Amino acid sequence: MNTTVTQDMSFLHLISSASLLVQLVMLILVMISLLSWWYIFRKLFVIRYEIKKTDEFEDIFWRGADMNALYQRTINSRYESGSLERIFAAGFSEFNKHPAGSDLEAVMESTRRAMRATYQREMDYLESHLSFLATVGSVSPYIGLLGTVWGIMNSFRSLASITQATIAHVAPGIAEALIATAMGLFAAIPAVVAYNRYASRTDQLATRFESFMEELSNVLQRRAAG
Amino acid sequence: MSASILRNSPHSEPKSVLAGALAVFVHLFFVALLVFGLNWKDHPPEGMIVDIWTELPKPIQEPVKSQPLPKQSVPEPVKPKLEPQPPKLEPPKPVPQKTIVEPPVKKPDIAVKQKPEPVKEPLPDLQEQKKKEQEKVKEQERVKELEKQKELEKKKEFEKKQELEKQKELETQKELEKQKALQRQKEKEQAAQRQREQEAKAQREAEVKRAAQQAAARNQITNEISKYKALILAKIRSRIVMPPDLPGNPVVEFSVTLLPGGDILDVRLSRSSGYAAFDSAVERAIFLSKPLPLPPDPALFNEFRNLNITVHYRE
Repeated sequence: MNTTVTQDMSFLHLISSASLLVQLVMLILVMISLLSWWYIFRKLFVIRYEIKKTDEFEDIFWRGADMNALYQRTINSRYESGSLERIFAAGFSEFNKHPAGSDLEAVMESTRRAMRATYQREMDYLESHLSFLATVGSVSPYIGLLGTVWGIMNSFRSLASITQATIAHVAPGIAEALIATAMGLFAAIPAVVAYNRYASRTDQLATRFESFMEELSNVLQRRAAG
Repeated sequence: MSASILRNSPHSEPKSVLAGALAVFVHLFFVALLVFGLNWKDHPPEGMIVDIWTELPKPIQEPVKSQPLPKQSVPEPVKPKLEPQPPKLEPPKPVPQKTIVEPPVKKPDIAVKQKPEPVKEPLPDLQEQKKKEQEKVKEQERVKELEKQKELEKKKEFEKKQELEKQKELETQKELEKQKALQRQKEKEQAAQRQREQEAKAQREAEVKRAAQQAAARNQITNEISKYKALILAKIRSRIVMPPDLPGNPVVEFSVTLLPGGDILDVRLSRSSGYAAFDSAVERAIFLSKPLPLPPDPALFNEFRNLNITVHYRE
């Protein structure tokens, strides 16, 4: 009783007295958690910025601004441009490459392909690292569970040599093992929440981009015909 | 041309460094929560155990320390009482001795000198005027003799007085010596008393030590007994197949008669828990754990011959 009751139960002591594999699991989980939180904040800023830029560009475009001026502005400030601006620039430059009087059907087809290609690239950029968040959300609880199971195994194995076993003999080992699960959950929960939220946001952006592409091709077709 | 520029241009990702800093901050915050949130666990239990074990040995040691202190303080006042007495008696001794010894020494010297002087003077007178002067001399001698006799008588009287005085002084000295002897005897007796007291003290201390040792031995024995009683109870508990879902925490008491070696002679239900299933489960468990663990010292078996076993439904 005496030895177990007076044991230091503080968080740091529990971690430092854990077995090597449990400590390794904890280290991996800390790294994963740091990385996932970094991506969470990065994606938060990126998606926010993208939505803001898309709002701005749609606002300017549908107010009836000059397409040539918009195109020039996008080319000049290409590092601050949003995805929708890039899609517009790709389609508009492809449309202008064709000489006047060429087959309208073929021109529109190539314009749509150019826009589609840029759209794919932009979506790839927006959705990058989201899969990492999904992986963290699904795997890190298992990694934490592995550490916990290993720690509990060890604490029960050390119990075998004691004739009169009490809960106090097992408790510290289980507590230190459960820290691994806690860390896994700490990494997983925000990752899952962020993944779901960002996936829905990028879906929204994708539908906006696609509808804009259709509308732009209509506008360009009218302009070529008219 | 321009499209290819757009295609190859990197995406300017906003605030990626700030994102990293925020991620680190979130983790530091969480670690701080864990560290300061779990610390409440390790403080209260430490005091309980340390206090119990420091208090137990003290009451045995403290009487040993505290008893000699009053005893030592008692003989100390006795010594000053004895010491002042001899100085009171000593000053009178030297004073009478000096006054008595000096006068008798001087007076005999004078008497011795006076005697030869009259003997030397008559000798030259006797040779020239023998017969005429012889009578005068004889008369003078008679007178002198008479005077001498008177002087002698006076001296004798003096001597007698001196002797009486000496005797008186001797008597006083003897009395003083007797008193001294009495004092010495008293001192001896007191010293003996002191020795006796010290011996008594030593005996008491030895008794206290013995009592402490016996208490320690008894403690060891009681520890051993309680340890084995706990072992017995643990063994029985491990064999109980608990009936599920009893309300509250019923307690059952059995009085068990043991044989040396741990065999069970008799099991009697001394207080029922009120649940027959629980009672019988405990009774079965007692029989199942048959060689009960007993201390290796056979002298302690008497403590285990009639055991009272109380089992709580919930620990």
